[in-house]
Amino acid sequence: MDEHAPLESAGIEEPLDLVRLSLDERIYVKLRGDRELRGKLHAYDGHLNMVLGDVEETITVVDVDEDTLKEVIRIVKRNCEMLFVRGDGVILVSPPSRA
Amino acid sequence: MSAPNSSGSANAAPAVASIHQLPLELIDSCIGSKIWVVMKSEKEFTGTLKYFDDYVNMVLEDVTEFENTPEGRKTTKLEQILLNGNNICMLIPGGEGPQ
Amino acid sequence: MEQQQQDFTSFLIGRPVIVKLNSGVDYRGILACLDGYMNIALEQTEEYVNGQLKNKYGDTFIRGNNVLYISTAKGH
Repeated sequence: MDEHAPLESAGIEEPLDLVRLSLDERIYVKLRGDRELRGKLHAYDGHLNMVLGDVEETITVVDVDEDTLKEVIRIVKRNCEMLFVRGDGVILVSPPSRA
Repeated sequence: MSAPNSSGSANAAPAVASIHQLPLELIDSCIGSKIWVVMKSEKEFTGTLKYFDDYVNMVLEDVTEFENTPEGRKTTKLEQILLNGNNICMLIPGGEGPQ
Repeated sequence: MEQQQQDFTSFLIGRPVIVKLNSGVDYRGILACLDGYMNIALEQTEEYVNGQLKNKYGDTFIRGNNVLYISTAKGH
């Protein structure tokens, strides 16, 4: 398959098909509130509620230094064996590149 | 008992109908002309209304996007957009836009 | 009316588009498909924050509730 094979040829007719084809694959999820998840997609529904396994969560926190009033960006990471994501917080889902 | 009542309202109906226009009928009469769209957030659009649906998702052409930020107003020109009706606050026929 | 809007959306498919989210983030890519919720599948996606390229993804699914508009990409 071509590196950038058009999605139609991969059997994608509606956007959710992209998520369906990512089942049992590691995906990237961007959430509201500067949160990101990387994990294996076990299940999902039409709301984009998802169950992810072996998850790494990345949270970007902006702290304001009380003395200098400068913004300090801090990255917090944590891991989770199994996670349920409520769909309404989801901004974007990206499957692994299908090269 | 009910007959005089209903005939009364039947007589009144045409007068009411001429005053009343359904909101979407007003929008329908704007098709092909300029319209000014004010969003719930600090964003506005002007453009030629091509189509819209029951959710007031709309297709606009020759669009100017106005974004009010603390640094001032930013404008962007766009050829053609499909605007999500979800966050629209107000529609103004004519579409001269913010000064 | 809805039919014509359908025509516009099918006109967009396979073309380079800009998807702007309510948060102000832009995604540029090739529109693979879209549904009634404005859920979007994009190919060769680039993420722009404040006009600066921040990320690239192969394919992406964008949840429709975040979408402000989908625009034909011209220039840039």
